[in-house]
Amino acid sequence: MTRECSLLLPRVCAALADPRQPSSDDTCLEKLLDWFRELAESDPTVKLMEDNPCLTEFITSVLALPEPSPSILSFTLRLAGILAASENRFQHLQQEQLLVRLFGRDGFLNSSLWEDASVRSGWVEGVHSMMHHQLALHLLCHGGGINMIFTLQGDPSLFVASAASQLLVHMLTLSVESETTKPLTTKDCNWPACARMIIKHIEDSLQSSSASDIEQSLKLLTGLFGSCRAAWTEVLWLGIAKQIESFLMEETVRAPHTLANLLLNMTWSPVFCDTEGSFWALVTSALEHLTPVEAGPLAVGILRLYKCPQDVRIQALTVLLQPMDCILRAASQPLEYAGLLDESVSDPITVESLLSSKSSCTGLLCQTLAHLEELLSLVLLPVDLPYTSLLRSLITILQFCNGFVNPTSPLGSTISRILVNCFRVQRSALDVLAALSERKGCDTLIENLFDVLLAYLESPNTSPTVLKKTFHATSKWLARLQELSCSNNQWQQTEKILKDVFLVLQKRLCSPCWEVRDSSLEFLTVLIKCLRDQDEFRQSLLSSEVPRLTENLLEDPESYVRASAVTAVGHLAFITYFAPESPVTWNHCNKENTVAKLQEILSTDQEGFPRRAVINIFTKWLRQGCTGQLEDTVQFVSRAIQTVEHDLDWEVRLGGLELVEVFCTQTICQLGLPKCPYAPVSSAVSPSLPQDESLQIFCRAKLFSFLFQSLCDCDKPVAQRACDILLALRGTFHPISTLKDSQGARDSPAGCGIAWLQRTLRQGSLAQNFPTDGANGVDFQDPESMMLALSTIDLEELHDELNKSSDHVEKSPQSLLQDILATVGTIKENEADCY
Amino acid sequence: MPEIKVTPLGAGQDVGRSCILVSIAGKNVMLDCGMHMGYNDDRRFPDFSYITQNGRLTDFLDCVIISHFHLDHCGALPYFSEMVGYDGPIYMTHPTKAICPILLEDYRKITVDKKGETNFFTSQMIKDCMKKVVAVHLHQTVQVDEELEIKAYYAGHVLGAAMFQIKVGCESVVYTGDYNMTPDRHLGAAWVDKCRPDLLITESTYATTIRDSKRCRERDFLKKVHETVERGGKVLIPVFALGRAQELCILLETFWERMNLKAPIYFSTGLTEKANHYYKLFITWTNQKIRKTFVQRNMFEFKHIKAFDRAFADNPGPMVVFATPGMLHAGQSLQIFRKWAGNEKNMVIMPGYCVQGTVGHKILSGQRKLEMEGRQILEVKMQVEYMSFSAHADAKGIMQLIRQAEPRNVLLVHGEAKKMEFLKQKIEQEFHVSCYMPANGETTTIFTNPSIPVDISLGLLKRETAIGLVPDVKKPKLMHGTLLMKDNSFRLVSPEQALKELGLTEHQLRFTCRVHIQDPRKEHETVLRVYNHLKGVLKDYSVQHLPDGSITVESILIQATAHSEDQGTKVLLVSWTYQDEELGSYLTALLKKGLPQST
Repeated sequence: MTRECSLLLPRVCAALADPRQPSSDDTCLEKLLDWFRELAESDPTVKLMEDNPCLTEFITSVLALPEPSPSILSFTLRLAGILAASENRFQHLQQEQLLVRLFGRDGFLNSSLWEDASVRSGWVEGVHSMMHHQLALHLLCHGGGINMIFTLQGDPSLFVASAASQLLVHMLTLSVESETTKPLTTKDCNWPACARMIIKHIEDSLQSSSASDIEQSLKLLTGLFGSCRAAWTEVLWLGIAKQIESFLMEETVRAPHTLANLLLNMTWSPVFCDTEGSFWALVTSALEHLTPVEAGPLAVGILRLYKCPQDVRIQALTVLLQPMDCILRAASQPLEYAGLLDESVSDPITVESLLSSKSSCTGLLCQTLAHLEELLSLVLLPVDLPYTSLLRSLITILQFCNGFVNPTSPLGSTISRILVNCFRVQRSALDVLAALSERKGCDTLIENLFDVLLAYLESPNTSPTVLKKTFHATSKWLARLQELSCSNNQWQQTEKILKDVFLVLQKRLCSPCWEVRDSSLEFLTVLIKCLRDQDEFRQSLLSSEVPRLTENLLEDPESYVRASAVTAVGHLAFITYFAPESPVTWNHCNKENTVAKLQEILSTDQEGFPRRAVINIFTKWLRQGCTGQLEDTVQFVSRAIQTVEHDLDWEVRLGGLELVEVFCTQTICQLGLPKCPYAPVSSAVSPSLPQDESLQIFCRAKLFSFLFQSLCDCDKPVAQRACDILLALRGTFHPISTLKDSQGARDSPAGCGIAWLQRTLRQGSLAQNFPTDGANGVDFQDPESMMLALSTIDLEELHDELNKSSDHVEKSPQSLLQDILATVGTIKENEADCY
Repeated sequence: MPEIKVTPLGAGQDVGRSCILVSIAGKNVMLDCGMHMGYNDDRRFPDFSYITQNGRLTDFLDCVIISHFHLDHCGALPYFSEMVGYDGPIYMTHPTKAICPILLEDYRKITVDKKGETNFFTSQMIKDCMKKVVAVHLHQTVQVDEELEIKAYYAGHVLGAAMFQIKVGCESVVYTGDYNMTPDRHLGAAWVDKCRPDLLITESTYATTIRDSKRCRERDFLKKVHETVERGGKVLIPVFALGRAQELCILLETFWERMNLKAPIYFSTGLTEKANHYYKLFITWTNQKIRKTFVQRNMFEFKHIKAFDRAFADNPGPMVVFATPGMLHAGQSLQIFRKWAGNEKNMVIMPGYCVQGTVGHKILSGQRKLEMEGRQILEVKMQVEYMSFSAHADAKGIMQLIRQAEPRNVLLVHGEAKKMEFLKQKIEQEFHVSCYMPANGETTTIFTNPSIPVDISLGLLKRETAIGLVPDVKKPKLMHGTLLMKDNSFRLVSPEQALKELGLTEHQLRFTCRVHIQDPRKEHETVLRVYNHLKGVLKDYSVQHLPDGSITVESILIQATAHSEDQGTKVLLVSWTYQDEELGSYLTALLKKGLPQST
């Protein structure tokens, strides 16, 4: 703790304990606790309290208040807990029985203040914070506090109830791990006293007739098995397994979701993964007895396990696939059904009834689809899924949702009636579809799949959010289709699909809804990114109206759309102007016009998004060596940075710096320095440029005035990036430390200007103020001056200064203490004000 | 019993960030998704892990509704939809949808700029989030799904702010968001139907305050600005890009015009044009005066207010500058403040609330020596003024809204516990309705007594009218039929139709009763005596003596046997169907009295 803080703290404590003062802003108290937590964790001794007796005095004075405010009491409880986390400080506080008075039976538990949720919450948090040693355990277990924690598990406040449950888990673990001397058995007497109390509570609650008691205990166990993977948890489990098993045998399973969560957490624990027989039998039983909705999360959790008995895995797979299987069956003629599941393991009656009820059908399908997506997004999937059937089922669901099929079976027609226009199911199914594109083996259905996707893309009933997901799935499957075409040379099918896709895209680019136009442009960009090397793709795209419509959208009224159009046009350029050999002549627009158009957007667009998009595209072009001969590139970069240096949007200025960085790296690479072995080299730059020449190029491109001005930018990321670039440049031009003394450099006229620049930067970067009335004799285009500037100015110091968070002063503890004190005595006229 | 459950995750007994979960008739709705500006870590967002313990958020929540564009109501939305993973529908009004991304973007830039935070939503996330938003019009009933519908009402407060009615069947909740019951310079007063919701969830920021007229505050503001400019000083007004800034711009613009003042007024951010564009675009959402004058002159096309350039801050002479951000915590407003703070002729006017840790908060609490970066001490000599222009309903306004909507229950949010307690009592006394004020994380359960509409089949109706009972709207009428509950709908049909629809066969139920009478005669003679007796008493009924020795009266059947142990006692077995239940019990009672002696 700094001296300033220790001087302020007593006054702050006095102010907080003074009931006449209006209670402090909750955020101040929270931040104060954060600070105390940091201090307490860094030093477990009593020094903090000895050096700052005001802390103990504060607790004492709050305890002496007849009716402290709930927020101050809650703060005090939490503070005391944080301090009492070490045994030394615990004893120090207990010298005056402060902890007993705060947390014991005779504390606030029976006062009217206890009705305030913030007090109960403070009490639980306080206890949790101090629960790191046996002294704290004894205080709670022998002082009657533990019964209060049991009660708080059922607190009306979700926050308090959940915190109480977590606290019990923590106490049980602490008690067993710090107080056990003998190996534990299921016999009561071997367990430490506190653990025994908690376990008895769990056992009693599990046998209770009250559903909420059972649920609370199951939650506690779920938390325990989720966080503690020690061997003793198995001993605990043996004592309660029968009871848990009995819950599963009841006609209506109580707390089914919590029960499933409990078993799920246990399956992940190494303690149980090797258990022969009984545990896994219980899991199988749960998968059988719980409804598909209840068992779903458990099933998907099991399928993620690498180590698990095969029969359990099959059972889990059955739970997950049954709804998909049922869909297939409902849509097929009886004889043509080739389902997902072996009929011997499938028991479809429950699932059929759930799917044929309006209230449960969409819920079950959405959950199943979400679980499938979760599994499919795993890089390594421990189980093999029947991908082809899964895809067929997904196609069927999407057809049901759009009313494309009229199934003959009664179940099929019921489900299709329920699913028509159901956006929720559409969204989930499309997510799975996109994830499925990564998996091999379902290529036979690709034509049917694109029929459905195209129908969705075309349909006026498709909502913007569904359309966005359809675009995503389509782009993924188009990439897959390209791979397939390459391997089997079936280009005709691909060409036809691409043609259809671009036809639909043309319509969507003209949608009155900006969301749709934007998603369409994003889709186009994604397609170009992944398929630009394919001739068929380029031909289909360039022979469609899509490029022209995309350019039109550069003038869209919606800025998001303009920005996406800029990105799309920028990418289109890769397959037109910048392509080594364009497959077809493309006459809509020429390169100069496009560059001029984007440049115009960069300098005149009223909004930041399109301008940011332009500068990013320029950088992309430069990276890919598309900006022409060296002089053209210099001009291109120079024009761009002169446009962005006064931009109001700092992200545009930052984009300008990125452009500069790429340009510098590429140019320096020509010096043959091993700076950037991976950087793509602009074809235009001739090899082995001498060092002086590159400096001249930078000066000619007016990089330095932009970089030095950016050092004083009022938006910190800009200044930081500029400083990084300048440091890198100095490293290149002055590889060995040849920093000159600025005093010495003053002798020359250039040196005088640089000394001024250095002074300005030192003040400017702090005051964020670069003079706007000229640069006082500094010639930013003179290589010699810039060389001198790089060698003279202390960029490291600037770098360190800039890297400090700009609110490091404001968020310091001292600032916080000052703020609390400043509000003391003021009438808080604006206390309830907001925005 | 049907119930409505409300759990605030934010705005429960505080004015931090609004996020309220409502469960109504099996539907789950999140009202607002706000951010707390006072924290720089995860505490700034509501703890969404409490929404559901089981399953995915998207499966649990039916929709999210955002009341207006202030960050304490929408700031966590991109985090919720793009990082936490909610993928369902989001509703807000058209202006809110247009303006929300500007503020979110503004805040993102400050956060990323100040702390270089990476665990924060990106521009792309804001856009993706906004694409999920369904914009609604005022008074338009929007069907979220087949059962859940929502409807927006004008709330004043800021452009596009709305109250929302959430309705499932006949149960409904109205959520006010932030609202203002008195019109101000650019917006009208809040208004809601007399919709008698089961629950009104209302903000209570000024639960105990009767606010002075806004005109006084405006006059005070203009006077201070004028005085400073007159003495050659500069006035800095830190604002957020939208909302109050526009209100104050109109105020200054008209004042400048009226007083023919020449000192320049600048608006510092590039967002102004966009902001003002939206005010022009959504002119129908502003107040009547602005709408009327719009024909002659657009109030948002300012003559005196010009775009600010960084170089202007160093210009000599007076000027007024609106600069973002509003709490002096970064960027341009802080930069200008640093330049101007040392001159006592200058003035900074804070027109809104500032969170702890910001320079705005420090100067408002009277600190005059501020440590800046690099251990520099900035001495604040300029005048510091605070003026609250926040447009919330005061205690009077809240009571007025309750009177207007006539809710069955009221629940207070977005206020301080002590003040809420006071208002709660007042509401309960005046309106005789229950009033609740749950803390964050606490669930309030309200039991409702919904009247459930039932369709009546035409056949049944015709049958009832055929027996002469013409329906009268004013008189409740009892109808008999079979209630069919199928596919979430209720229908009353005739029993025959119900049997037919359900594919069931009819079973006849007969009630039986044994009556003992003393009669030493032979059985057939007793039967004859009974027959004669009934025929005499029941003149209007068809009483028959059948050849098998039994008697029928309508559907009632009577048979006589001798008692097995006592031949002098005869047992009459009386049986009837439920249709003739009344007659059956009358007959039994009659026979129990015995047969008359004379016959």
